[in-house]
Amino acid sequence: MASVMQSLRRFLTAEEVPRWFGLSIVLIYLVGLGTIAQYGMDHAREGGVRQVQRASLYAIHLLADRLSRTVSTETIDRSVRHQAALREFAAVIPLRWVRMVDGDGSVVASSSERGRTDRPAAPVRISTDAVLETWRIAGLEVFSVSGENDKFGELFVRVRVSERPEDASSVLTSDKVEPEEAGAESLWLEAYLLPEPIRATGWAGRAKTLTTVLILLGALFVVYRCLREQLRGVSHIAQRLQLPRERLEDDLHSLRLADTMGGVTTIWNELIDLTQRQAEAVLRADANRELSQALEKSGGGALAQAFSALPDGIIYVTEESRFDYVNSSACRLLGWKEEDIADQSLATAEGKGVAGKILDLMRDALTADGSFEERSVTLDASDDDASDHTAYRVRILPLQRAQHPGECVVLIRDVSQQVRSEKAREEFITQVTHELRTPLTNIRAYTETLSSGMFDDPKVITECYNVITKETRRLSRLVEDVLSISQMEVGNIDLQVSDVDLKALLSEGIRDVRGLSDEKNIDIQLECPAKIEPLQGDRDKLAVVMNNLLGNAIKYTPENGQVIVTLHFAADTAVVSVKDNGIGIAPEDHDRIFEKFQRADDREVLNQTGTGIGLFTARELVRRHRGEIELVSEKGMGSTFIIHLPHQVTRAHKVTQNREEAS
Amino acid sequence: MHRILVADDEAAILRVLAMWLTRNGFEVFEARDGVEALAIIDSEPLDLIISDMNMPRLDGLELVRLLRETRHAQTPFILLSARSDRARLSEMTSRFDVRLYPKPFVPSRLVADIQALFAAAADPNECPAGRSV
Repeated sequence: MASVMQSLRRFLTAEEVPRWFGLSIVLIYLVGLGTIAQYGMDHAREGGVRQVQRASLYAIHLLADRLSRTVSTETIDRSVRHQAALREFAAVIPLRWVRMVDGDGSVVASSSERGRTDRPAAPVRISTDAVLETWRIAGLEVFSVSGENDKFGELFVRVRVSERPEDASSVLTSDKVEPEEAGAESLWLEAYLLPEPIRATGWAGRAKTLTTVLILLGALFVVYRCLREQLRGVSHIAQRLQLPRERLEDDLHSLRLADTMGGVTTIWNELIDLTQRQAEAVLRADANRELSQALEKSGGGALAQAFSALPDGIIYVTEESRFDYVNSSACRLLGWKEEDIADQSLATAEGKGVAGKILDLMRDALTADGSFEERSVTLDASDDDASDHTAYRVRILPLQRAQHPGECVVLIRDVSQQVRSEKAREEFITQVTHELRTPLTNIRAYTETLSSGMFDDPKVITECYNVITKETRRLSRLVEDVLSISQMEVGNIDLQVSDVDLKALLSEGIRDVRGLSDEKNIDIQLECPAKIEPLQGDRDKLAVVMNNLLGNAIKYTPENGQVIVTLHFAADTAVVSVKDNGIGIAPEDHDRIFEKFQRADDREVLNQTGTGIGLFTARELVRRHRGEIELVSEKGMGSTFIIHLPHQVTRAHKVTQNREEAS
Repeated sequence: MHRILVADDEAAILRVLAMWLTRNGFEVFEARDGVEALAIIDSEPLDLIISDMNMPRLDGLELVRLLRETRHAQTPFILLSARSDRARLSEMTSRFDVRLYPKPFVPSRLVADIQALFAAAADPNECPAGRSV
């Protein structure tokens, strides 16, 4: 049974209904029909034969009576009359053959004109064993014989035609008589009745025949109906497989059979159920696809597109914590693929890193009654050693809908940039505080030295004043740096454009840092052409640029190092480079160090005081001059900062400015 | 005469500290960074080390760590710091028995504190300070 079900399942899951299925059903019913028909036939025939026997016997009796009388009155032309009598006899009842045989076995007359070939040539010897029934009918002897072969099987009648028959009206008796040996003077009538019961006469026979036919027709009808229904079912399935799928469910239901045929019906109905389940699964999948297509076409598509375009991650969770919608930003932030997360629920979803943390957070926010608590958390997803901070702000917002308690929306925002800039700002404040404190410490210490009265050496007093003056200048420069940063942030730096002698500017810049370079015994060289044209620019701002670059060069160059400043002119740009043989800058830090409050991620650099504003300021100021700063450096190989300042463009800029002033 | 090592990369601070300490009767050794300081620690017996926090090559914290962990010296240590991240510093200072002294400082008060430190150490009649090994 299991294997039958298996093959049926296979059949169901196959794309087409195989032909053998329909054929085998037809075959089963044909065999059934045959069996029923055979039974009906047998029954009808049996009944029919009996009727025929009785009818025939009576007819034979009448005929034999007439015959014997004829035979007894005629002597000369009897064979002619015998022939006529036989013809009459054959017309009355259906006989296969009939003949008149005399005592020594020669045929006196026969119904040979009927063309029968199956009669014996000699008179039939009837053995006692073969006699089934014997009747003595009005002096005639009638034997019902089981024949020696099939040809004589049904009813063989042998009548002795006596010279003086008794009263024919004494009708039938059923005393069994011994068959007599044929004598020379005897005359026998031999007849073999045709086994054609349907043509038998009599109302009872007709009724039985009719009943049989009706039963057969009824059986045929039932079989036909079943067959038709099932064949139609088979063809329905074949058709339905191509029909629009929304109708499939109803149609399948109508294919179910009433439980009238036992096992076959059960199997059939199981098949239908199986198909129905499969159809439902297919329908569901189709519905989902159609829904998303419909969303795409209608306004929903626009909405979904809008959600996809949002930089924030959105996860919409419906009842039973199922992820109904996850926008592409959420997938990107959490490292999910959209197809991975579709149809997932909170219970089944998996995630690494941030995704895992967010899932944990959601599970934590899920209460016992299946609803969510509101949460708002900043998740730090940075690697331990990374200088790049990654952080996400995650908000779990339960939806206030009474029927759907488990619904919520999870919003995920990448706040790495904010966290990074916050950290940078904190670092900046720390650094600025430190930078402020160093000159303040000096000023305070030396002021106290002066005021304590403990040191009266004039040299010491002069030294104190010098330090205080220097540190005060350093302090005010620092304050200016911080101010200029805030100015640059709001974008208003006024360039006081005038003719700038770059050579003088560089010399002064070097002179300003001489104190620092002498402390570390760093040699600073200036290389520039003898005669140079003045450049249009803001002298003070360019001085700040040079001061920052030179200050860095000295700060990050070990003692006894060397700094070379060069100036040359290319087509229409002035190129200033500041080259040192210091600690150098790793290529991955090249972009970073120009950013506000950012410094190279290098222990040697971080050991030095610095605010991370020098290079930012320098680049901003150079850009205001429509120039650019370029950096060539390798870690440990020294650094070269190259400033390109447009020569002509700045002049043109000046002209437009003048025009504006004139107008 | 107590021997004091002063380490700071700011020349002016080094100078003013040296002036004040010498004036108050201490023998002063000057170092411009942590490496120089370590060289002096290894060669001179010292009673006190005053060091800046931020110095090139070897900073104040690293200096005190090396002093305590690899040299097992319990020499009193004053860390001058302008840093505002006190949380990290105080954790380190308690671990290495370091006195934090904030910048800007008042020289006269620092000298007074140092004198008090030596006085307290001398009081129980013990060796006033450990020696570097």
